[in-house]
Amino acid sequence: MPYREKIAWLTLGSMIVAYSLYFGLILAGHPAGREMFPMLWLFGSIAATQALVVIAGHIVLATTTPRAERRRRDERDRAIGRRGAAAAYYVMMAGMILVGVVMPFTDTGVKIANAALFAIVLAETVSLTVVLLSYRRGWHG
Amino acid sequence: MARPPFTNDIRTLRFLAGEMTQGDLGDRVGVTRQTIAAIEQGKYSPSLEVAFRIAHVFGKPLEAVFQWSEARD
Repeated sequence: MPYREKIAWLTLGSMIVAYSLYFGLILAGHPAGREMFPMLWLFGSIAATQALVVIAGHIVLATTTPRAERRRRDERDRAIGRRGAAAAYYVMMAGMILVGVVMPFTDTGVKIANAALFAIVLAETVSLTVVLLSYRRGWHG
Repeated sequence: MARPPFTNDIRTLRFLAGEMTQGDLGDRVGVTRQTIAAIEQGKYSPSLEVAFRIAHVFGKPLEAVFQWSEARD
């Protein structure tokens, strides 16, 4: 499996675990769904933990993958990255319209912030999924 | 995903070039070994520049490396 694909799996896996926990707790009635400081604490601690896991994973992958496999991104890696970003753009745009145009008329600040975070996480998930599918199934940009 | 409407003879040309490895070809062309493998398998259509660079490494014209395949059009 290419080094870049391993990195994408690591990021996607850690993100799904971390934010499933965050949004799961909110749906279960955690105060982070209603109040600002519990939200900042919960989100901050989960985001920081996920970042540490990703950094540790990068270090492990960098030390266990031969240098020749870790060379700079080439045109295929960049094309696949652009494809993922293009797919994520539409998800992010829909999410931001909902958060910035619709929700201010119906919801409170914390709920809007959580909806924005969900849109960002969903867009990143779509991006990484498209990247992984492109590495697996091929890409003829 | 559908295959591109062309095939390539990179594997054969590598063999004829003294079993050049995918990594060696990638180094000379400026892409990763995985990208050479993806091109050989028809999983990635290279840019025109990389296609010309591959042909240049083997000292062949472009059409000796990549062939249009009407069946896949």
